[in-house]
Amino acid sequence: MLSLLISLSILTISSLFILLFSQSRRISAYIFLWSLVTACGFGLVSAFGVLCQKAIVLPSMSMDLRVLGTIPLGEFYIGIDALSAFFLLLFFILSLAAGIYGYGYLREYAGKRNVGVHFALYHLLLIVITLVLVAKNAILFLMAWEIMTVAGYFLITFYNESEGVRKAGYIYLIATHVGVFCLTVMFLAMGAYAGSMNFDRMAATQYPLGLASLLFILAFLGFGVKAGFIPLHIWLPRAHPAAPVHISALLSGVVIKVGIYGLMRIIVIIKDFPLWCGVMLLIMAAISGVGGVLYALGQHEIKKLLAYHSIENIGIIALGLGIGMIGHAYHQDAVAFIGYTAALLHTFNHAVFKGLLFLSAGSVIRSTHSGDMEEMGGLFKVLPWAGHLFLIGSLSICGFPLFNGFISEWLVFRALLEGVFRLDVFGIIFSSMAIGALTLIGGLAALCFAKAFGVIFLGRNRTSEEQHYKEGDWLMHGPMILLAAICFWVGIFPASMVYGAFQGAQAITGVAVGLGLKEAIIDPLILATRVLLFGGIIFVALVFIRKMLTLEYPVRLTETWCCAYAHVTSRMQYTASSFARPILKIFRSILFFKVESNRLQEYFARETKLSSSLKDASEYFLLRPFFYFIKRISRKLKWIQSGHTQIYILYILFLLVILLIWKLH
Amino acid sequence: MNVILLLHITVLFVFPPFLLGFIGKTKAFFAGRIGPPLLQPYFDLYKLMRKASVYSLTANWIFKAAPMVSTAAILAAGILMPIASLKPPVQFWGDIILFVYLFAFARFVIVLAALDTGSSFEGMGASREATFGCLSEITLFLNLTILALLSRSLSLSGIFPGGLSSSWSLVGPVLILVVVSLFLILLVENSRIPIDDPDTHLELTMIHEVMVLDHSGVDLAYIFYGKAVKLFIFGSMVVSLIFTFKTHNLWIDTFFFILEMIGLAVLIGIVESTMARLRLNKVPYLLFSALMFSIIGFIIILARTI
Repeated sequence: MLSLLISLSILTISSLFILLFSQSRRISAYIFLWSLVTACGFGLVSAFGVLCQKAIVLPSMSMDLRVLGTIPLGEFYIGIDALSAFFLLLFFILSLAAGIYGYGYLREYAGKRNVGVHFALYHLLLIVITLVLVAKNAILFLMAWEIMTVAGYFLITFYNESEGVRKAGYIYLIATHVGVFCLTVMFLAMGAYAGSMNFDRMAATQYPLGLASLLFILAFLGFGVKAGFIPLHIWLPRAHPAAPVHISALLSGVVIKVGIYGLMRIIVIIKDFPLWCGVMLLIMAAISGVGGVLYALGQHEIKKLLAYHSIENIGIIALGLGIGMIGHAYHQDAVAFIGYTAALLHTFNHAVFKGLLFLSAGSVIRSTHSGDMEEMGGLFKVLPWAGHLFLIGSLSICGFPLFNGFISEWLVFRALLEGVFRLDVFGIIFSSMAIGALTLIGGLAALCFAKAFGVIFLGRNRTSEEQHYKEGDWLMHGPMILLAAICFWVGIFPASMVYGAFQGAQAITGVAVGLGLKEAIIDPLILATRVLLFGGIIFVALVFIRKMLTLEYPVRLTETWCCAYAHVTSRMQYTASSFARPILKIFRSILFFKVESNRLQEYFARETKLSSSLKDASEYFLLRPFFYFIKRISRKLKWIQSGHTQIYILYILFLLVILLIWKLH
Repeated sequence: MNVILLLHITVLFVFPPFLLGFIGKTKAFFAGRIGPPLLQPYFDLYKLMRKASVYSLTANWIFKAAPMVSTAAILAAGILMPIASLKPPVQFWGDIILFVYLFAFARFVIVLAALDTGSSFEGMGASREATFGCLSEITLFLNLTILALLSRSLSLSGIFPGGLSSSWSLVGPVLILVVVSLFLILLVENSRIPIDDPDTHLELTMIHEVMVLDHSGVDLAYIFYGKAVKLFIFGSMVVSLIFTFKTHNLWIDTFFFILEMIGLAVLIGIVESTMARLRLNKVPYLLFSALMFSIIGFIIILARTI
């Protein structure tokens, strides 16, 4: 707790200093870098301190700091339990990496833009996210949440001269405020029922099932907007490409995870939900997962593609969360425990590998000055660092063995399969549907990253043969190497992180779990690494044989064989759209394609063009009609807003009179 | 223990190319030819090993590493698979997930290697392989879930040698559906004829072969060998589902297992000789029918448990 407070105060003081010195970019940058490193260091210490304790730290047993009367209607009441600590861990790791990278990334803008303000806002975002994660009072939570949203808006609109960026920021602001509305209603309802705005009092209250399900729907809407569940996701694929990459990494790795944290916190507080809440979450998760990856397949803009993959991974996390809730509703504690563990671990892993992917994509964008994959190709040779790190990120996100994605996807599968084994028919139907969805997600994600990595880094460059791309320096490589190392470490030695996730999962279920179940989860993972070791031995043997043979029969280098066609240009390579076309064609009935072309009508062909893009169906068929409807209604009610101050004062007077009458009555 | 381990590894490593020999022989029989000798796949591997590799100037290390990584991943999946009544060297609760992911990994690296050459033909093959692969993966996993539910085990070694022996009398129809579905998946995953023709000559119609156009020498040998092992593993899955009876004598069981595998190879050969290759846009329908088979099987099981 102490180290977290130190970390918070370092961030507060240094952000003020950065603002003070924002004219001198050198000083502000140095303050930023060092305060970031120390603050994240202290933050990590506090997170580890809680996670490494032998006894589990339940929400009721956390070390608290409570200052009365500091916030209107609430109090400054914070505390770290194991759940908060787990999220703090991933949050500080990623914000450290993204911050250092951002420092390196934004150097080229020094003098052109006010980078100092950006850095100060970055610190502000870190402070409020920390507060959201440790708040134990609903009012404090909502205030921090609101500042987080607004600080996020300013960070996203860094390139504010562009119309598209401003629009993306605007949509982000509106979408998240719709979420805040739901959250406020939810917390007020809970507070009114429990008689206190403090989380521990709320948690001590038993909620009737009807109220619990209503609260869950509000929580799903409020936190779901932030987390980016389909169809509440539309801000996400717009805001991610608009922001500078390190902010995208932070948004995708942490900010949307705060939505997941919120859902988990609600599960901690309310505990008993009716069965259908878990089922609904599972279904929405499956839709988000499959939908997210299908939309990602249709994207050619690298950051947009990664943004849709965040939606997919939120789906995977929520699959674990959903099966956990279903298991709890069936009183199958093992299913619930594995489900929550899987959700937590995938949250961590996604933060790490998605951060890595965004940052390495940033290195590509920085050197090519374009995010369009169709213009790239062959970058593996010119940007080897970005290439190798992107490859590690891709292998992790596809969930391949040896990397961290495999561990958490294995756990999600394990939770769902335990659900198939231990639940009744109704439960089996939904868990097996989720298994199907998760397998499909895995396959499609592999396809999508084969496309992304293949088109960007492999083959030949599609625009020019002459390339003068320059790679970043150690300030940019360092953070990425850190993240890549974590991907490997969790993939090869899963035990420690899984134990961390156990602590968090116990904080969610609220009961200590026997050692037997923990070993039943960990031991297979350790045996799995043994299989991988066997694979590694075979690999080494194969390498050795090949080495021997190539010594005897030397290798020749030549052009790629193109089936006897001599004049091959780089434009003839398979493009991202053509690579993804077969699979999108199979799913065309549930996707919405927009194809524009000039039909050839004369005998002699003229210049013509064809463009096709994948549109977001939930935006075009669900949200747009809905908002047009709201717009129509508000236009009819426009006369209320006359614009005269006097009339507004009159309204207030009327309201007061009505309140007075109501009270006297 | 050591004998079992050794026998398992030996059968897994040595036997697979033999299957290709039997398939070739069957096809030759239907064509009225004598055909290449049964050991021809071994001769081919030997020949390829003694040829120098040619690499594209465009390619990176991914192109060179991919055949080795993919073959190693397939063999690693192989040691999870029980053969005859031989317990696999490693088994654990939930190894079916690793099993499926290892195959996906093996496919992924080959797809990357194909894209690494920058050839449009190989990009085309990679795109097709990845598409069909991700559809067959879901069917494979669903079938394994059904089998896990029937045998109450999440481990391949719990499912295959004896876990299902009582299921045939109880839920025979379900197992027939699963066997048919798995056989279709076997054809898809190993690029056999109704889906892909391993001996075709036009690159535009190929799926798997076109991905490895640029591989040569020892790399190509690795890829061929890996494919043979993959066919062997999928085949042993189908065979152990059909023949659940075991004598519990190590050598007799292994002998019968090899006979059964040869029978399967002959069956594949018959399918290949009597059918024409499907048009590419019909392949998804075949995959969906395989998926439907396993979903229907699942529904039957659920109906029984009510």
